Amino acid sequence: METATASSSSSPASISFYDFLDRMRNPASLDLVRSIKSFIVSFSFYAPNPESDGKRVQDFFLSMETSIRDHPLWAGASDEEIDCAMEGLEKYVMTKLFSRAFACCPDDLRIDQEIAEKISMLQTFLRPEHLDIPTILRSESSWLLAEKELGKINAHKAPREKLLCIMNCCRVINNLLLNASMSEKHVLAGADDFLPVLIYVTIKANPPQLHSNLKFIQLYRRQAKLTSEAAYYFTNLVSAKSFIVDLHAKSLSIDEIEFEENMQVAKLANKVPDEDPCPTRDGEDGLRRETGVGTFTAMNFKERSNSGLQYSFNNLFELAKMHMIVTGSPYPFMQAEARDLTVGDVERLLRLYKDVVDKYTNLCTAYRHLASSKLESGHFKGSTASCCYEQPETSVSRQREDGADI
Amino acid sequence: MGCSSSLPDRNSGRLSGLNSENSGATDAKNLRVKLVLLGDSGVGKSCIVLRFVRGQFDPTSKVTIGASFLSQTIALQDSTTVKFEIWDTAGQERYAALAPLYYRGASVAVVVYDITSPESFQKAQYWVKELQKHGSPDMVMALVGNKADLLENREVSDQDGMEYAEKNRMFFIETSAKTADNINQLFEEIAKRLPRPASS
Repeated sequence: METATASSSSSPASISFYDFLDRMRNPASLDLVRSIKSFIVSFSFYAPNPESDGKRVQDFFLSMETSIRDHPLWAGASDEEIDCAMEGLEKYVMTKLFSRAFACCPDDLRIDQEIAEKISMLQTFLRPEHLDIPTILRSESSWLLAEKELGKINAHKAPREKLLCIMNCCRVINNLLLNASMSEKHVLAGADDFLPVLIYVTIKANPPQLHSNLKFIQLYRRQAKLTSEAAYYFTNLVSAKSFIVDLHAKSLSIDEIEFEENMQVAKLANKVPDEDPCPTRDGEDGLRRETGVGTFTAMNFKERSNSGLQYSFNNLFELAKMHMIVTGSPYPFMQAEARDLTVGDVERLLRLYKDVVDKYTNLCTAYRHLASSKLESGHFKGSTASCCYEQPETSVSRQREDGADI
Repeated sequence: MGCSSSLPDRNSGRLSGLNSENSGATDAKNLRVKLVLLGDSGVGKSCIVLRFVRGQFDPTSKVTIGASFLSQTIALQDSTTVKFEIWDTAGQERYAALAPLYYRGASVAVVVYDITSPESFQKAQYWVKELQKHGSPDMVMALVGNKADLLENREVSDQDGMEYAEKNRMFFIETSAKTADNINQLFEEIAKRLPRPASS
């Protein structure tokens, strides 16, 4: 089922965008350029208001479509060529207005944050069986590919390209479902299978600023283009988001107490990175600072820790052992017998005891957090099904496009 | 099973990025309609649609076959065409609250139940009430009793289905996605009932 789509950096969209820029630089289109520039400037006169902003942009697109159709530079152009010009226009205008139009209300940022936090808690324990996803559809490789596509959504500014990330993600899932039905062991169950997988993939991907991205597409993708199949997949992601926002124990096939406990643990674990950013790095720095074991070990550890969390933790313990050998134990009572102790040792013993308990607790929480959030998603290499509509531009060409002017 | 016989051309589902298909205006002769499928999981919603989409052999018609979104154009006798864009919805209880996102703006709703499952008939009635409350008032609604080939296991009589549909001014039909019985009739009947824009 792997239908390879050429993913060259000069995608049709990119070509049409440069074509659009070229035509706009033609002196004959000065009137169009004037309208576009004055529209972009006029946008900053108003306080951000998503509904009226969206309507203003959509109206502008419609009026520009008429102007382009009537324009000498596009005389005798086919519908397809006009459409290309409109795609170029949408990209140009929305790239220029991006910072003003994307996540422009304080509420948007708050909602984005809340969703991201809820998802990262769910990530710590959610399994496919909680959504009753049939075993035959549990394909790590397809899911990772779908997650990757969805995860790119924030890398683009143009509404069309953001929408393409959603389409590509859905296409991967779609192919997984069609493949499963071809194996004859599984009857194609349509949306009954599609939506749970999309929800699971969305949770695994935790795409940045999910709410703001959906809102941006809804408001600023040309309305004539947010129809049919694109609208269907878009609606599915909106509904996946909505499901996640309202998700509680009864939304899943999970014991209610188990759900609450998992959420509590996840809440605690998720707090750790805020307080001390990265436990692994923290451990490493701490060891280096305290012991002066030497850069060799520290660097060695750092290098090896890249190969995976499990390794890095093993190395941490190795390093800790080495630390004891080189500097002597920081816990001098390890070799002591009860009869050697005096009342004067109690204070120090208590301090060391508290220190050890603190370290152990932090390490446990951090490990649980890292193990659940990173190990699950960190090891995928290679892809199985490249069945996407179109690969968005490379970051280099994207930067060039962002800065493009007419 | 009736649903898994042959696989559609995999390229047919590809979205043509820049075509103007979507912006093609609907005129009096060529309608484009959004059809939403509702019903309990396992009643065979997607099988009905797959049967319908695969069963059309007009080589000129553009089809889209995905796992949950499909489109198919049919030609009627009066030389008009109707392009159905079919939106499948997840039938599991836990997704019930999401349905309005899907049926918003739909011109047709097809509510499916399984004639061997009274629970699915109850669920169908729930969807009809939902649509009456929240759907657009001029929506064409059809009630479909599927799995009509499993006569020996029938638990919902066709009389019950028909009466309920009449009471709610819906079109009623029993189908079998497995044998393809009444599948085309379902869609042709819906096409006839669509309100036509005034021809110019």
